[in-house]
Amino acid sequence: MKNKLSRRHFLSLVGAAGGSSAVYNTSLALGLMQESGPVAQLDLKHIGRRKKKVAVLGAGIAGLTVAYELERAGYDVTVIEASHRIGGRNMTVRHGDIIDEMGYKQVCNFDDDPEMYFNCGPARIPGHHRRVLHYCKTLRVPLQIKANFSRPAYRHDPERFEGKPVTVARYTSDSRGFIAELLHKAADQNAFEKPLSTDDQERIREYARGFGDLNLQGRYKGSERGGRKSGGFVTPAKIHEPLDIQSLLDSDFWMGDGAFNSENADWGEPLMEIKGGNDGIIKAFVREIKSPIIVNAPVQSIELRDDGVDIAYNRKGKRKTISADFVFNSIPTHFMSGIPNNLPDDYRAGLAALTPGNFFKIGFQMKERFWEKEGIYGGITTTNQRINQIWYPSHGIHSQKGVVLGAYTFYDESEFFEKMTPDERLKYAADCGDKIHPEYSRNIEAGVSVPWGRISHMMGCGTSWGSGRSWEGGDEELREKYYKLLQQPAGGRHYMIGDQISYHSSWQEGAFGSAEVALLDLDSRVRAESGESRKG
Amino acid sequence: MFLAFAVFSWASVFAEDDLPVPAEELVFCTVCHGVQLMGNSIIKAPRLSGMETWYVERQLKNFKNVVRGRHAEDPFGYEMQPMAESLSDEQVAEAAVFANATRSPAPPATVIGDIEKGKAHYSACAACHGVDGTGNEALGSPDLTIPNDWYLVTQLMNFKSGARGSHPSDTYGMQMRASAQLLADDDAIMNVVAYINTLQNK
Repeated sequence: MKNKLSRRHFLSLVGAAGGSSAVYNTSLALGLMQESGPVAQLDLKHIGRRKKKVAVLGAGIAGLTVAYELERAGYDVTVIEASHRIGGRNMTVRHGDIIDEMGYKQVCNFDDDPEMYFNCGPARIPGHHRRVLHYCKTLRVPLQIKANFSRPAYRHDPERFEGKPVTVARYTSDSRGFIAELLHKAADQNAFEKPLSTDDQERIREYARGFGDLNLQGRYKGSERGGRKSGGFVTPAKIHEPLDIQSLLDSDFWMGDGAFNSENADWGEPLMEIKGGNDGIIKAFVREIKSPIIVNAPVQSIELRDDGVDIAYNRKGKRKTISADFVFNSIPTHFMSGIPNNLPDDYRAGLAALTPGNFFKIGFQMKERFWEKEGIYGGITTTNQRINQIWYPSHGIHSQKGVVLGAYTFYDESEFFEKMTPDERLKYAADCGDKIHPEYSRNIEAGVSVPWGRISHMMGCGTSWGSGRSWEGGDEELREKYYKLLQQPAGGRHYMIGDQISYHSSWQEGAFGSAEVALLDLDSRVRAESGESRKG
Repeated sequence: MFLAFAVFSWASVFAEDDLPVPAEELVFCTVCHGVQLMGNSIIKAPRLSGMETWYVERQLKNFKNVVRGRHAEDPFGYEMQPMAESLSDEQVAEAAVFANATRSPAPPATVIGDIEKGKAHYSACAACHGVDGTGNEALGSPDLTIPNDWYLVTQLMNFKSGARGSHPSDTYGMQMRASAQLLADDDAIMNVVAYINTLQNK
């Protein structure tokens, strides 16, 4: 080895090859991990019935949270929702449900069976999303474990391994074996900037052998971790030959999210999902909230006054106005440029600085759970075809049918699908699936496509700062300039909420968090009026 | 990104009681084009408030018949095309009447260019669109003072490149495509739009 490895490079190499726990622990020690403590106790002051009026714009997670909490604290709440349904991007579709894509209205054609559902929006809940889980617990919404990762599922690169899918187990095992060999050799040669002690050398070698399932000589000869080729129970086990290293290196899953997304903080196993569909939380809110939730009511203007705020909205061909003391606004920020308002200029500029993303999903109802015959029970196959991913359902194991996620895309890939008709999208995704599962398309009985960038009253999913779309949140300078401003109520009365006003856009936890920030601010103001202050 | 905002007197415009309310099947027009079709520069949906009925109808039909909006280099046209396709002929007519009835303040000027140079270019435009830019129905030329200035820039670029006005059934578009070639470069486009901005009734 020509170049000596720095310790930092060593760590990143270990991390890149899947040694997540090492990196995880280091990050934890450095205090880099996300805060995941208990939910702040809202403890909102009860103001006495109907003394203050609140308008909530948008009946998604953030809006419903505000309605639920303020109603319980005595406020007079009205929720105004532009679309035909309650839930926002928390949308689970079943037989007969409308997917209100502009220009291509679809009706879900799954069987009329409560088990046949597709989570078009949020679908995964990690244990550190304390706010989501707090409300699930409080509202008695049943959860179950959702497999987000599956070793028998596949990595699929049409350009490598003759275009055949490779099991995650084999792919991961062989990648690790290769990296572990390098590490073992580096330890043998003590090829570090600061040489290791003999004891440490051996510790690293031992770690490398464990990490990659190497033999005592530090060589990788394949591993049972990669899944057995045959036998192992009543006949001798045979393991696979290691995959061609060059093909592994050339394939797109060698590094990055394709290979390691189950190790990202929000996708770390085990994840959860709501039994019967992720809109269970929405149904629970609707059950609990007594205040009116007016649907099909697009907002026409927002006027801040000295003593309140007026909201105009259309409903059944008529223009109506509601006057409130406070408004909680979860309208997608990119629509605010098309809604007359007198919010302060800098606040409007902040809203205009956010750009919507365009997540896209396809759901297929399969007449047979063919993946189970391949040993796959839940989890995700990743491919570098344009569909990106195939998800297998974690519920209904061994029942006849199941709903599979047939595509989950972002940015350029989403634009590719957005330009197609719904039928073209399904056909395209079915063809991609056939390259992974020979029985794929012939089992498709029904399908839906959900381009969030084209869904009416939504036109986006996952915001970022600045004019481009970005996974990392976009332009940090713009965030620095506007984020705190948008967390404050304009004129002391207009709160902007929704996942868009969080560091976790496109996640329910971000939406709950934004509502929490706004509610705590309101509570402080209300308490201040009566000379109190919030504890702590 | 343009961050300029109109200082519009919305109190006078939006407090009116008689603003047209879209029929249920046309609400989705306002999702992108904004309340009263006032335009939304963030999602690049142009202002249509008060647009001529005949022009809206013609363009909706062009979109509906895939005469417009399926060119690979016209992503926003692509977004629009299926919306128009989902409308019946009656709904197209209804949408045109609604657009014509909508009212909103003049859009803010966001394009910066050399107005004097633009004025010289505009003499050719004036033949069809009128010296005041308000169009000429007899010639099929729309009012240029209605849409946002950034939209005029996009469309002039589309006409110039052929992303719009290439379809053989787009008679008026092809005329405009030929005319757009008179604008030598992006600067010329910005200049002429900067001049058109001075024509708006603000």
